[in-house]
Amino acid sequence: MKRIITLAAFVALALGGCSQQKAEEGAAGQPAEEATKAKPSYYKIQHVDVAPTVDPVMAKAGADIFDVKCTACHKLDERYVGPALGQVTQRRPPEYIMNMILDTETMINNDDTVQCLLQTYLLKMPNQSVDEKDARNVLEFLRKAGDERK
Amino acid sequence: MKRIRSLTAAMALSLFALIISGCSEGDKAHIGAAGDAAARVYVAPGKYDEFYNFVSGGFSGQLAVYGLPSGRLFRVIPVFSVDPEKGWGFSEETKPMLNTSHGFIPWDDFHHPELSMSDGSPDGKWIFGNANNTPRVARIDLSDMRTKEIIELPNSSGNHSSPFTTENSEYVVAGTRFSLPVPNQDVSIASYKENFKGTISFIKVDKTTGAMDLSFQILVPGFDYDLAHAGKGPSHDWMFFSCYNSEQANTMLEANASQNDKDFIAAINWKKCEEYVAQGKGKKIDAKYAHNVFNDKTQMASSEIKNGVTILTPAECPGIIYYMPTPKSPHGCDVDPSGELIVGGGKLATVIPVMSYSKMIASIEAKKFDKEIDGIPVLNYKDCLAGEVKKPGLGPLHTEFDGKGNAYTSMFVSSEIVKWSLKDFKVLDRAPTYYSIGHLCIPGGDSKKPWGKYVIAYNKITKDRFLPTGPELTQSAQLYDISGEKMKLLLDFPTIGEPHYAQALPAELIQSKQVKVFQLKDNNHPYVTRSEKDCRVERKGNEVHIYATAIRSHFKPDNIEGVKVGDVVYWHITNLEQDWDVPHGFAVIGNNNSELLIMPGETLTLKWEPKYPGIHPFYCTDFCSALHQEMQGYVRVSAAGSNAPLTHN
Repeated sequence: MKRIITLAAFVALALGGCSQQKAEEGAAGQPAEEATKAKPSYYKIQHVDVAPTVDPVMAKAGADIFDVKCTACHKLDERYVGPALGQVTQRRPPEYIMNMILDTETMINNDDTVQCLLQTYLLKMPNQSVDEKDARNVLEFLRKAGDERK
Repeated sequence: MKRIRSLTAAMALSLFALIISGCSEGDKAHIGAAGDAAARVYVAPGKYDEFYNFVSGGFSGQLAVYGLPSGRLFRVIPVFSVDPEKGWGFSEETKPMLNTSHGFIPWDDFHHPELSMSDGSPDGKWIFGNANNTPRVARIDLSDMRTKEIIELPNSSGNHSSPFTTENSEYVVAGTRFSLPVPNQDVSIASYKENFKGTISFIKVDKTTGAMDLSFQILVPGFDYDLAHAGKGPSHDWMFFSCYNSEQANTMLEANASQNDKDFIAAINWKKCEEYVAQGKGKKIDAKYAHNVFNDKTQMASSEIKNGVTILTPAECPGIIYYMPTPKSPHGCDVDPSGELIVGGGKLATVIPVMSYSKMIASIEAKKFDKEIDGIPVLNYKDCLAGEVKKPGLGPLHTEFDGKGNAYTSMFVSSEIVKWSLKDFKVLDRAPTYYSIGHLCIPGGDSKKPWGKYVIAYNKITKDRFLPTGPELTQSAQLYDISGEKMKLLLDFPTIGEPHYAQALPAELIQSKQVKVFQLKDNNHPYVTRSEKDCRVERKGNEVHIYATAIRSHFKPDNIEGVKVGDVVYWHITNLEQDWDVPHGFAVIGNNNSELLIMPGETLTLKWEPKYPGIHPFYCTDFCSALHQEMQGYVRVSAAGSNAPLTHN
């Protein structure tokens, strides 16, 4: 545990990010995910249109992509390498999710929320070369998962 | 002591200069580097070099990739020798690449890289390389800097005059330095003159895919075919080969092959050869050779043993080959950017002979032949001569061109580069090299349009130039600025193995084409695992196939039980990453094999035969993330014949 804290401190130092108070709690073992009031930094995708109801065809396509590109690190209902994503659409706006998939490095370097998460998980999410259409389908799949977990 | 030694060296050097240049007063300024050299080779952190420099590794069997002007080493591309670091020749996917008609060979001697050409200029598609010992030609893809194809050459040995390409890389050529009975057979070595022949091979290259095919071989007298370069422009249809040992000696060649005053440059009209082959004038003979191809789609190599090659005999195919007499035991054979001048590096000659293509053609048309050797007309030296560079130095070897009317010849014995004019063949400048230069290279310096900014010397001996490392010292490259009238030494840098020839081209020709990751969706490896949910372990008799994945920072599965002593275990590991520069490594305890180094989107297979029951850890060998140290797993190995069921998580 001591090592994780040291490492987290190092990461914070190196990045200079995560301006939120709760970050330290995160490092000490509690999810930093709750601390998400910071200003978002979206560069690639500024706005995502989402319909009130989930498109089942898109969600199915998204599930297939999720299986191949995401499940090595994310489960829906428990923490794995990265955070559980079953309720991510309840925590984050669609723009955040799209940018995290498509513009991963920029988000890691600039987005306050992501920098705080990094202190908990200590792994930079890899860019998995997903194209915009597939990313949108993944978002739809995550919306469906979110609806099922309301 | 050190000072005494360098003083002696300096004295010896000035003595040399005195002897050679007939008193050009051993210019002290040339001994060290130019005053602003540091600034001129400095590439600031994070900035890129201007040129890629591909340097043969010689007896390392590999190809090194440097940046110029910095001399920084970026990559060693495994070609003819195994490389445990990259799993080359150790992974199941790459083992077939090193197969030959003699079986698997883990080493060879790589002398000459040659960039593929379009209209006589490097096009940045491929680079070819020769194996000197067990004759082969390799093709390396410049978009991912990996060896994609290796073709063996039957009826050949000492594959030295290779792999030079024609003006549009229609063909890659290869000639025998060591002649042999063709086909090879059990005869007395003393019957050399009667039984030994040389062959010149032409390998067709597919314009789009680069795929190589052994098109035909020309059966030639048993001389030593040493180096080659293609014609260009007016001489497009021709290929030129230097050869020595016209004495056909089979012992103590250093004396016995140095008798004749002149040997030859063989001029071969490959267009004419094509016509004869098309007319069925070639004779098909049995000849076994391996042809190894790496398939990008399946990420697997395969090796096929082929049989049969078409042979053209000069006596039956008039007009395909002529000998131009050339003094004396020529080594280099270099064609100037215009395609008119052919420079022979007569390593024992006192001049550098420059032959004229147009005069050669005029002689051929006028049928002015001195004699014939085995049906090959021998032209007259003077009739074909454009001019001679007088008193160039000692031991001229190779010549490159700057595209501004100048030639640069390496002088092995007198350790220098000599710059001379293509107009009047007068020596313009000379610069010492440290020491014993072999090849030299100007970016595009053997092409139609050289980028004549630098010349690089590749030296055999470094003696006192670097910190000593026991009896075996590094060999070196030296970078000279040739933008002005005088050559200026800028930098020494060490090289891998023994550098022979090298090629260089502007970075922008290939930099933007670099493959960053292999697309998982295009990975058609028969043992690919595209998703963690597909990970599995299967038994087929005593074979165990582990379908595993790697992503920052875990393997899946990472606990496997039920493997038994006597099993042959194949780890098929797919790197699920799709981001640049995120390889994962793999190694398992006690494996009599190398590691795997798996690029994003790639699948590689490691064979493992555990010997003892017990727990066998495995781990990632490439520091992949902050949790890299956690990237580990266990295999439980049970005794042979145990009933342990195969399980995994």
